[in-house]
Amino acid sequence: MKIVYQNIHLANSHTLAVYEANGGYQAVLKAFELGSDEVIEEVKRSGIRGRGGAGFPAGMKWSFIPKNDPRPKYLTCNADEGEPGTCKDRDIIRYDPHRLIEGMIICGFAVGIQQAYIYIRGEFYRETERLQAAIDEAYAKGYLGDNIFGRKIRFHLAIHRGGGAYVCGEETGLIESLEGKKGQPRLKPPFPANIGLYGCPTVINNVETLASIPSIIERGGAWYGALGVPKSSGTKIFSVSGHVNRPGNYEVELGIPMKTLLEEHAGGVRGGWGNLKGVIPGGSSSPILSAEVCATITMDYDAMAKAGTMLGSGAVIVLDKSVCIVRAVARLSRFYRHESCGQCTPCREGTGWLAQIMTRMEAGHGTLEDIDLLSDICNNISGKTICALGDAAVGPVMGALRAFKEEFIYHVEHGRCMAG
Amino acid sequence: MATVIIDGKEIDVKAGTTIMEAAKLLDIYIPHFCYHPKLPIAGNCRMCLVEVEKMPKPVISCAMPVNDGMVVKTDSEMVRTARKGVMEFLLINHPLDCPVCDQGGECSLQDLAMKYGPDRSRFHDHKRHVPNYDLGPIIETEMNRCIHCTRCIRFSEDVSGVEQMGAVYRGDHMQVGPFVESRLDSELTGNLAELCPVGALNFKPFHFQARGWELKHADGICSHCSVGCHTRMDHLDGRILRVMSRSWNEGNETWLCDKGRFALDGLANERLTAPMVRASQGGELKKVSWPEALDQAAKILKSVKPEEVAGLASDAVQGGEELFAFQDLMRNVLGSGHIDHRLRQRDFSADELPLTRADLLMNTPLASLNGADAIVLVGFDPRFETPILNIRLRRATQAGARVVSVGARKLNTNLLNVTEVVVAPGGEVARLNAALQALDHDEACAEDPVAALLKGAKKPVLLLGEGANVHPEAEALRRVSVALLDKVGGIGPNWNGYNRVAARANAAAAQDLGVVPHRGAGYTRLERMGMNASQILEAAASGQVKVLFLLGVDPLDEALDRDLARRALSKARVIYLGAFYGSAAQKAEVVLAGLAPGERPMTLTNGEGRVQRSARAVNGPLEAKEDWRILRALSDRFAAPLGYNDLEALRKKMAASDHRYDLSRLGPGESAMACDHSPVTRGLPVTVSAAAESGAAMQLLMVSSFYRDDPVAARSKVMGQLARDGRLRIHPDDASGLAIVQDGLVRVLSGERKIEVRADLDRRVPHGVVIGDLGRGENATRELGDYSNGYPRVSLVALPG
Repeated sequence: MKIVYQNIHLANSHTLAVYEANGGYQAVLKAFELGSDEVIEEVKRSGIRGRGGAGFPAGMKWSFIPKNDPRPKYLTCNADEGEPGTCKDRDIIRYDPHRLIEGMIICGFAVGIQQAYIYIRGEFYRETERLQAAIDEAYAKGYLGDNIFGRKIRFHLAIHRGGGAYVCGEETGLIESLEGKKGQPRLKPPFPANIGLYGCPTVINNVETLASIPSIIERGGAWYGALGVPKSSGTKIFSVSGHVNRPGNYEVELGIPMKTLLEEHAGGVRGGWGNLKGVIPGGSSSPILSAEVCATITMDYDAMAKAGTMLGSGAVIVLDKSVCIVRAVARLSRFYRHESCGQCTPCREGTGWLAQIMTRMEAGHGTLEDIDLLSDICNNISGKTICALGDAAVGPVMGALRAFKEEFIYHVEHGRCMAG
Repeated sequence: MATVIIDGKEIDVKAGTTIMEAAKLLDIYIPHFCYHPKLPIAGNCRMCLVEVEKMPKPVISCAMPVNDGMVVKTDSEMVRTARKGVMEFLLINHPLDCPVCDQGGECSLQDLAMKYGPDRSRFHDHKRHVPNYDLGPIIETEMNRCIHCTRCIRFSEDVSGVEQMGAVYRGDHMQVGPFVESRLDSELTGNLAELCPVGALNFKPFHFQARGWELKHADGICSHCSVGCHTRMDHLDGRILRVMSRSWNEGNETWLCDKGRFALDGLANERLTAPMVRASQGGELKKVSWPEALDQAAKILKSVKPEEVAGLASDAVQGGEELFAFQDLMRNVLGSGHIDHRLRQRDFSADELPLTRADLLMNTPLASLNGADAIVLVGFDPRFETPILNIRLRRATQAGARVVSVGARKLNTNLLNVTEVVVAPGGEVARLNAALQALDHDEACAEDPVAALLKGAKKPVLLLGEGANVHPEAEALRRVSVALLDKVGGIGPNWNGYNRVAARANAAAAQDLGVVPHRGAGYTRLERMGMNASQILEAAASGQVKVLFLLGVDPLDEALDRDLARRALSKARVIYLGAFYGSAAQKAEVVLAGLAPGERPMTLTNGEGRVQRSARAVNGPLEAKEDWRILRALSDRFAAPLGYNDLEALRKKMAASDHRYDLSRLGPGESAMACDHSPVTRGLPVTVSAAAESGAAMQLLMVSSFYRDDPVAARSKVMGQLARDGRLRIHPDDASGLAIVQDGLVRVLSGERKIEVRADLDRRVPHGVVIGDLGRGENATRELGDYSNGYPRVSLVALPG
């Protein structure tokens, strides 16, 4: 079932002509017919949850924007796609930018927004060019601007390129960065729906979420809601990477067994399912799952939460038995140390400490006390930081300690990895 | 309203109150580092985490608003664990150098580590090292100790408006400091060190001087400007080593300016330690006993007729007690009505009128200035005259108030929404009069920045500063200001926006207590008016006044016309009573060694007319005495001695002459009333003199140097490092025409008089004007001062070298 990726196999799928030839920009017209309240209802009915990682229902988010507020409202598309392992939004922007633009227009119409921004990852240089070309096409055609589609509706769209900070993928860090400040997340409350960009009500959605909107409006929220499993409706793109035979982006219905995703779609684990060591199921910040769990788990929000991990951004990182878990965690810890914004104490000091211990342990200088210390530090970071980056940094360490503690002990006792 | 239960105690608070504030009301202390009641909330230290029922995670109490029915636990297991975790994180990269850290003993981190810190570290990896910066003469840095609470950054951005501090880099590499290493361009830098919860930012002048627990404390009132900030003087072994702020919501909140904090080292320089007498004309001053000195002073005073004696007093370093006793002595013991404190003033025409206290002081309490919506500054540089008042104005502008500054120069301001109306020196009256006329016509009103600002303002304030008070037509300027404000309804029972802000700390007390020639203590009318400061100096120079009795004032440093002061001091016999061996003491025949602020209990009346008492912190030099006691002892040598033998009796007498000085009516902890005075006199006619013709020569404007402009600050080495005085400021365009370069030597000529100074090129100086500091020393621009015909005209010659 392809929704977001339905067109990307077509030649020149990024152009307005191809998009329109395949039914593009029809949903927005239908949205105008439905009226703004009904659009929000449709989106709520679809049950689509935010595809950026947190999984917050998108329709709810839209309905939180205060009505009859004199302040301008803003829509911000989070295209920062910084979660290691994730590359799904990139393909939407590269191969179907108009789907994103149409989704944004629909959102803007539904919520009453006249100015929208796409905050795109700084490294996405060519993607920015292609997206800008699509925006230019849409402006030329009158789909963006002061009177879009010949109606008295105003909707402007601009791209802002980030500077390459992971933390700017966090919605309030993104807003700060968009405002020209240092990318440091804000305290919540207040939430962006009330005080966001420039102190005004702001909707922030992920690229994939917004790109799903045209199909939801076109075919109805009920249709979309029927896809997938309860509470995890619709399709999701999984960026499968690591030790599989055919890594890549796969759009599948939510609730698909992980084994099916890996074995049928991604060409199977390298060396066969028996060679699987573990899977990081939702981007680098989600705790790793051991091979036994992977055999039975399904790819949906609730099942993941139940297993103590999360669906996150849908970046499935497959690790086979050649992987040294300690080394992998050490690398991830160094990433989070580097990307911590430094604002709040537990994350600033904790990520650095974790990375130093993990690096030392990897080099064979760890102690058994270090293992307990790691989980203590994780507990002291988790849930005590301004934004979720602290929890994200804790995820890989806690997950690995839970699933592969014996590897840590082996590493400490032998000064090297059991994986060889 | 919301009802919230914190640790089992219930309290009703306003909706939107944070848990931290609500807990404070219940006297429940929640540990914190980054939270500060007067700064924006950052929520980054995470020390104030508390448990809220029905919330899965601990929340930060500094930022979380209470909800009705919220149940908060500030000392549960979850909270203690969280705090221990945060504490451990803060300590892993913190150096263990408490024994050599100035903050030791008064450090939040140290205190909270006692309760929540581990007794040994589990951190065995590499500690962070970060560079230190030279931030100028006030702040010493040891940035390894920084815990990144960002109080200094938030203060710089929000309060001082100087965005020099920031955090660079990310994660545990984050470094707090200036983006570009340089001296902080702010008059409020000392607050950074006071705000810093650890020892990262320390006071440079206090560095390694004492440990916090050795210090004794005395509650003081700052005597360096007319705001009268509440201070705590920290002293050890008879020396005041540090001045910290006392929290005072109606005034300085928790801030102090750098002058108030660090001019104190001036107290130790050029002090008079014993009474001295000059045996013969031109002879040397010799130390004598107190009876000898007083006898000699009495002899001099008795050798002339009463009207040949005149008294000048300082309103900067003298307390109300001395000022009161001084006028009492002059009038009732010596029988002379020639007494004044206004050596900087030029226009004394208002002395003829019965002006009220409200006419001469502020009428908007400091605390209400935040609420102003339109601000007119007339000859007022609030940032460098009364920095703490300026914070209030800045708060108002942050809330949207607009400012128009009318004056002869552009300001180095940190207020927002400022329109600067620069007039030729002396042109302020005509300018404001034009605004007054414009208010009647809609079109003209829209074009006139002052009128446009005031029209429709609900809470307008107008502040007259030093530039207006020393103006050649000060009274006309004052009247037109009153008329302007009155016309827009800015002077009323509910909102009075008329403010005359004196630069000097105790000018209000000098006025109240009768150290003026035209009024007695408590605004009583006199039958005969004495000579004013300007007349006294003229009369002394001409020999009409034969004895000058100086109370703490150096006319050479103070009077606008330095040459006149020099002639006066040379001609008249001088009795000097004060703390410093300055130019006046050097000329005096009898020197009576008095005490300085901090060494005696003082009554100080601030710009709002609020009467405040400053305690004694230390003893002065051994032989020096309280000034009023010296006056009392001197009066014994005359027929009718002063009738008070102790401070209580003196204060009772002061209170009897002006009820505002009766502080016994105040309950404990109560502060005297601000702006407790009669209404502003309205409807006085305004006369605008013809505009001064513009000649070819440059006009000289003199501005007092903020960091040097009182006897204590002038002797402070720290202030010397901060001040950039003794310079002649000139616009670069004017300078290039005269071949004057930055730092180049310039000869400035005014008639027969000349000085040589170095030039500062400054685009804020108007064309055709040069600005000199009212400095001290031989090359002070005041040497050129001849104010008989408005502003001095000078010509400039660039000199080589």
